[in-house]
Amino acid sequence: MASILEKLQKIVSDKYVTNDINIRHAYSRNTDLDLHGVPEYVIRPKDVKEISEILKVANEENIPIYQRGAGICEFGGSKPIGDVGIVLDMKRMDNIHNLDEDNLIVTVEAGISWGKVNEYLSQFGLYTGCMGPGSGMSASIGGGISHHSVGGGGCAKYGACTNQLVSLEVVLPTGDIIDTGSQANKYSKFPFNRFGNGPDLTGLFCGDQGIFGVKTKISLQVFPRPPFANYKTFLLPRKGNEVAAQIFTEIRKKGIDVYDAMYIIDLLVIVGAQEGMFPLWENLKRKRGIFFYTIEANTETELNEKVKLLDDILLSKKAEVFGPEIEDGNYAKWHYVEQGHWQTYHNLWGVWQAFQPLTAECFTPINMFPKILNDLDVWDNEHAEDFNRILNITGRRPLTTTGPVLLIDGNNVELTCGSSSFSSYYNGEYHEEIHETNIKIWKSLLERVTKWGAQWYMMGEVVSRLMVEIGAYQPEFYNAMKAIKKTLDPNAIVSRGKFNFR
Amino acid sequence: MRLKIRMSKLENIKKQWKAIMSCMNCGDCGYAIRPAVGRFLTCPVKEAKGEEGWEIWFSRGRMSVLKNILEGKLELNKDLAKYVYQCSECGSCTEVCHQTHNPNIVLNTSKWIEHVEVWDALRRDLVEAGFAPLEHHAKLIEYMNNPGMRNPYGESKEKKFEWVKEVKGLSKTSDVVFFAGCTEPLRQKETLINLAKIFNAAGKEFSIIDDEWCCGSIALRIGDINSVKENVEHNLEQIKKTGATKLFAACAGCYRTIKKDWPDLIGEELPFEVINITEMLLDLINDGSLKIPETNTEAIKVVYHDPCHLGRHMGLYDPPRDLIKKIPNTNLIELKRNRQNAWCCGAGGGVKSEFSDLALEIAKNRIDEVKETGINILLTACPFCVGNLNDCVKIQNININVLDIIDYIASKL
Repeated sequence: MASILEKLQKIVSDKYVTNDINIRHAYSRNTDLDLHGVPEYVIRPKDVKEISEILKVANEENIPIYQRGAGICEFGGSKPIGDVGIVLDMKRMDNIHNLDEDNLIVTVEAGISWGKVNEYLSQFGLYTGCMGPGSGMSASIGGGISHHSVGGGGCAKYGACTNQLVSLEVVLPTGDIIDTGSQANKYSKFPFNRFGNGPDLTGLFCGDQGIFGVKTKISLQVFPRPPFANYKTFLLPRKGNEVAAQIFTEIRKKGIDVYDAMYIIDLLVIVGAQEGMFPLWENLKRKRGIFFYTIEANTETELNEKVKLLDDILLSKKAEVFGPEIEDGNYAKWHYVEQGHWQTYHNLWGVWQAFQPLTAECFTPINMFPKILNDLDVWDNEHAEDFNRILNITGRRPLTTTGPVLLIDGNNVELTCGSSSFSSYYNGEYHEEIHETNIKIWKSLLERVTKWGAQWYMMGEVVSRLMVEIGAYQPEFYNAMKAIKKTLDPNAIVSRGKFNFR
Repeated sequence: MRLKIRMSKLENIKKQWKAIMSCMNCGDCGYAIRPAVGRFLTCPVKEAKGEEGWEIWFSRGRMSVLKNILEGKLELNKDLAKYVYQCSECGSCTEVCHQTHNPNIVLNTSKWIEHVEVWDALRRDLVEAGFAPLEHHAKLIEYMNNPGMRNPYGESKEKKFEWVKEVKGLSKTSDVVFFAGCTEPLRQKETLINLAKIFNAAGKEFSIIDDEWCCGSIALRIGDINSVKENVEHNLEQIKKTGATKLFAACAGCYRTIKKDWPDLIGEELPFEVINITEMLLDLINDGSLKIPETNTEAIKVVYHDPCHLGRHMGLYDPPRDLIKKIPNTNLIELKRNRQNAWCCGAGGGVKSEFSDLALEIAKNRIDEVKETGINILLTACPFCVGNLNDCVKIQNININVLDIIDYIASKL
């Protein structure tokens, strides 16, 4: 009888599947330092048919499948839960199928990165609007859709990357292949619209954390990139959290289609300037919260009008504008021009060596985030003992703060608040105590934020299970989700372990 | 299960623990595309592997393996060597690792990880554990240690000095000593003859070392540090005998090794200044000694390939460019990927000697980029780059002339 490896080799050839121990370990982690799971096999399929066959084998053998785009999940979503299963490396599927210039729709394979798609689109004066997650220069389109990602620029104007989704090709956990949106009609010649032909099954797979199937082909609406843009950065007065929330709200109430608007809290500015992270603000006398925006327009007149509206809001709140150049403190210019939209978050990650953010990435209403951030100070004090344990080993007390607060569509912000710690392997030895404390404080923080009613978008292993463990789901919602999972994936093959379904 | 690791096996990577644990596994080292700053993918090895580009071929995958080794979840093993030694140690991963390319936002993360140092540490541990060197690498080291050779090419000591008989203007002692290395004397002799021609034209002399041994670059990159010490000590004694206060090298590998690695190995500063040939020649032009005649012909367009050992390893980006710009009737055009973002030629880190097909595949990517410019003169400043890029051009029968800057200048005299 053929082994699992032999069956998989028959599908993709022996070049694209392996049980080599070193390769398996290379696929055992995501971006955090504590979660870990070594797969039994890693496979790199080239097309939808191969994935369908792989899933059929997985069902026969009762072996779970874990999808991995660029593998940048912060919550352990694209590596095995436990030392089990097959990692499906989607990065071999990185082709652009078609750009429909008339209908402004691009169709790509799920493994391609936001960066690569946008590099291609730029030749036509187009872009994806929402540029995907903050890691978009590497992150895959499939991963972005599976997480409702934001953070890579353009989210204030275009919303999460799922907003521009037109249709999907998905391999269901049993191996069946479906097309959604306009493509549900077998006579449709090309993807053109998401809604219609019955319920929005595309939406079922948006933000599904990969539990309902494997996305293989994705059609996205694309947009002409406006030729004019401006970007400004401001120093906020005291009580930055509340002032920033008021500014976000006024932008929405005045209906200004700001491309990006972000707020960086004073603690981050202080620590960042201290640790050499923000040289452009090192000489600031008053290190307070920073607010910046980017606005795009089709004409200079339109741009000037929008800039005036935005400036009026900020100046009325006693915000002080920085000069136009990056060295003047204009972070917005750095973000839009130098960085090409991405990397704000990554760049904040490594303020100290072997540093590990224990983050919570979620959406909240604008008027809720100041309360959550204020409560995190209380939460931090409550965990002084835990932090002291880390301090005793590393000589540094972890920090509780938030990354940039980002305006997204509607009256919502993305909050990347969190605590921090250090790697369990520290100073030449492995400290189980650090690992245990990390997991404890991370879960405690996530629970606290969950109880503020936050809505998680990137959930992975940790958040999806925690929501169930602390009873945060409305029971009827959870049961409905479980029933859908059971119908689509009776053997719990895809992303086994997430949401504690099994 | 946590394995009991014998500490002696991991001494070198343990010293790199902060760098290893600072890797956040974001994957930019494998996938990053950021056209705004000229970044079009990162890892030449992963790209050359094409559809077989498993994550272990680029930095993140190996960092995960190293984390697991340090945490006792995986043992150092012989199979790991076959992945580790296919890295050309070009250092491109360091450049994309949270680098902003912006002096106003220089984040600590960009300084935490010097990837090449991590790979060197891993190679040393593999050698110490007996899992390396690999077959061809072992031969190179054997030749380097052979008293009758002292070079990794397996050639006699005498052959390395044959070029000297064909040039004039060398002195026994001088303020300036030339470290010839092994590759140019034994494989690209013409370049050294051209070098002497340039010095003769400038009316300058330089000394060479009577009994120069391999600088140790190849053994260092392989991770056999014990084989290098004798060479370094011998060469230092020989250099001291010349009385030189300045040493220049035309080989980018020697330049990197002498300037960066030797002080680390001996634990003190070198008693002489180390410069690259491009800096030396630029000085000769700037002080008026070297005059390259102007012609009435149309300017020739050339492109420049940044050798990893000069650029990313040593930060030497401007002197070669400034030098080319000083050559009359020459118009330097930048390649799409240049300076920190330059694509590796594929020869470094021992890849050419052990995995020559991979080296050529990487070179092909670079040559394709040159082809896109329509320019057929490719200048560089490293004999390994010259050799590997030329091999690629010959195999593909492409009309691109790969030249060391030295040869190009000499052709103008």
